[in-house]
Amino acid sequence: MIPLALIGGGEKAEIIDFIKQGRGILSRLRDMGFFAGKIVEVISNEGCGLMLLKVDDTRVAIGRGMAMKIMVRRLQ
Amino acid sequence: MKTITVAIAGNPNSGKSTLINAIAGTNLQVGNWPGVTVEKKTATLKIDDLIINLVDLPGTYSLSPYTQEEVIARDFLVREKPDLIIDVVDSTNLERNLYLTVQLLELGIPIILALNIYDEAKKKGYEFDIEKLQELLGIRVIPTVATKKEGIKEILNAIKDFAYGFYNITPKKINYGEDIESSIKAIEENLKVTNPLLLSKYPSRWLALKLIEGDELVMKEVDLIGDETFLQEAKSHLFKSHDEDIESMLADIRYGIANGVTRDVLKKKDGKRVDFTEKIDRIVLNRYLGIPIFLFAMWFVFKFAFDFSAPFSDWIDTTISGPVTKWTFHALTVVGSPQWVISLLTEGVIAGVGAVLVFIPVIAVMMFIITLLEGSGYMARVAFVMDRLMHSIGLHGKSFIPMLLGFGCNVPSIYATRVLETERDRKLTALLVPLMSCGARLPVYVIFIGAFFSDHAPTVLWSLYVLGIFMAIALGFILKKTLYKGFAPVFIMELPPYRVPVFRDLMIHTWQKLKHFVIKAGTYIFAVSVIMWFLLNTPYGVEKENSALGRIGKTISPVFEPLGFGTWEASSSLVAGLIAKEVVVSTMAQIYVKEEVEEEKEGVDKEKGFIDDLKDAFLSFGFAIRDAIENLISGFGIKSLSANEEEEQRPLKSKLQGIFTPLTAYAFLAFVLLYWPCVVVGIAMKQEFGSWKLYGQALVIHSLLAWFVAFAIYQGGRILGF
Ligand SMILES: Nc1nc2c(ncn2[C@@H]2O[C@H](COP(=O)(O)OP(=O)(O)OP(=O)(O)O)[C@@H](O)[C@H]2O)c(=O)[nH]1
Ligand SMILES: [Mg+2]
Repeated sequence: MIPLALIGGGEKAEIIDFIKQGRGILSRLRDMGFFAGKIVEVISNEGCGLMLLKVDDTRVAIGRGMAMKIMVRRLQ
Repeated sequence: MKTITVAIAGNPNSGKSTLINAIAGTNLQVGNWPGVTVEKKTATLKIDDLIINLVDLPGTYSLSPYTQEEVIARDFLVREKPDLIIDVVDSTNLERNLYLTVQLLELGIPIILALNIYDEAKKKGYEFDIEKLQELLGIRVIPTVATKKEGIKEILNAIKDFAYGFYNITPKKINYGEDIESSIKAIEENLKVTNPLLLSKYPSRWLALKLIEGDELVMKEVDLIGDETFLQEAKSHLFKSHDEDIESMLADIRYGIANGVTRDVLKKKDGKRVDFTEKIDRIVLNRYLGIPIFLFAMWFVFKFAFDFSAPFSDWIDTTISGPVTKWTFHALTVVGSPQWVISLLTEGVIAGVGAVLVFIPVIAVMMFIITLLEGSGYMARVAFVMDRLMHSIGLHGKSFIPMLLGFGCNVPSIYATRVLETERDRKLTALLVPLMSCGARLPVYVIFIGAFFSDHAPTVLWSLYVLGIFMAIALGFILKKTLYKGFAPVFIMELPPYRVPVFRDLMIHTWQKLKHFVIKAGTYIFAVSVIMWFLLNTPYGVEKENSALGRIGKTISPVFEPLGFGTWEASSSLVAGLIAKEVVVSTMAQIYVKEEVEEEKEGVDKEKGFIDDLKDAFLSFGFAIRDAIENLISGFGIKSLSANEEEEQRPLKSKLQGIFTPLTAYAFLAFVLLYWPCVVVGIAMKQEFGSWKLYGQALVIHSLLAWFVAFAIYQGGRILGF
């Protein structure tokens, strides 16, 4: 299990868990389609700044700090 | 007569506003980024003896709101009890959209589901089993393409059928499992006895669920703290059997349903897989190229704006200062109006309002481009690209969207801050918005640039806009350290696919924005012109310098002395600019107009009759169109403002050339860019934040900022020898 922020561009990962943070943020993430079991594709991850993700067929940009708190399993 | 209220709800950017526009023929704001609509808007439609109130709501991802505009959407759905909900769903992302639908079902209100953006879904190879979807959710489902008005008639018929009771919609009651259902029941039973008032305000099942979740907002609204015995009792068995928090458990159930339904009704075949969006994004969002591309695009915009609008501006200018003034003068003389009336109308109103009207073409082109930007999907990308820079001032990229919208007009930008997460972010962003150069400042820029920098017009104009952005960051940096301490909350934002805006929409929304400036010219600017004329002519007959306005200007002018423009004319124009920034130009035009009209009177071309002048005006308009197109084709730098220089100089321009130098002109423009925001922005701030405090801060901070920047430019320039 590693943080989503460590997944490189072009790779896919399955969300396993969230590290507890502000209550609002977690439910926000969930409402936008990020929940345990979901598969996310990292479109770009340039090592700093925002990450661009793809969930289902939708692009979502999220801050790196938050990506550190989403724990995932790298998929092949 | 029967009236029904229909709420239009759905995820952000799913096409709700577009759908209402298609149904009711309204011109609600649409744009290709999440968070366009931030206020509920009602469109009323009358069919036979049925009145349909369509309520456009801000987009929302769930009924547990996160930002200001989502609260508005939730409040309407939950409290106002609409008769019917049209749930606008983005078909290309069915599962997440259904997650909201499941929550809407909890409200117990009949739902028509519009499977919108059906065209893009089909292109992706998605196939929907509409019948099945209807059956599973117990609601009407209609595929729509709002932009092409497909499915609109079906939606209307469905609304009518529902209103007349021909068609019953009984939304499925989602079963949350025995444990939860028994809690719901217990709470509903209890409230029925102890607090029937509450149950009449909220849909009972929804309320019970929120109380089980412990939704903070709802708890506060209904004055419960959560450890009431009846709640504890109702929930106790849940705690025993489920260790994770109940909120996530309910969310899991809802997603489970959304996922199950999606799997049942959606078949994904392989469609065309050329994803332009991804290709463009790879370049546009690039870490190093992102900001340069944005800045270059801006420069290109100004180039285009100048080239295309210049011939039209010239045409309006020639027409107003020529035939219009001349014939008004004649007409007034013929009917024997007193001298002062003639002066009021020609030197006051025509000169003042005319000076602003001249720039309507530039403003029009700018508004067109902003509308194009809004519809394309690039808006959200700019937020992405600017995120890092905005972080340095304790905001995040999303704040840049209201700021960018400010290039059109600052007022809607103040409301657009609702998409931000915290009060601090919203206030700080609202304080920075006025530094974004709005359309009203264009007339000032263009007249000065025409007089002093015509060889580099687009670049100089571009530099002012960039200066605005730059100063916003600088000011934000200071404010973050002082008045608005804090750091950026988390960034999360959907980036929609790029879309080609519908031409009709483009025209309508350009006009919607432009209209504001035209109306302003006919009202505000008109009124101010009249007032200014009186101030310039009291006591009647004295030199302008000694008029009331002249004396006011002279009193203030020492303030502007160190900035290089300490004349009474500049000072009084700047003060008047509080009303609206165009007034700076209209007032200057009035001050400098006198001799021009005198000359005009002498030199009236007696040979030319009214008809001839009219013919001339038409003919020259034709030439203007030709020139504009030629400019566009010949493109870069061949023919722009300077190309028309051989024709005679307009009096205001040549007057300015006598008074300002290029250096003082630039300092003046920087000052106009940055100094106090107009009163309309102030009113918006008051409305949005509940007090005049923010506007007070803006007045002081921006004026100081403007003064120091203009000072630095002027004094620095002098040292450098300009
Ligand atoms: N291809 C396609 N595009 C659509 C359709 N409906 C809307 N759009 C586009 O989707 C974008 C969003 O439309 P809006 O009507 O502003 O969406 P909204 O749901 O009101 O968005 P918010 O107010 O931000 O919640 C615009 O660029 C529309 O042109 C459709 O059926 N097909
Ligand atoms: Mg909308």
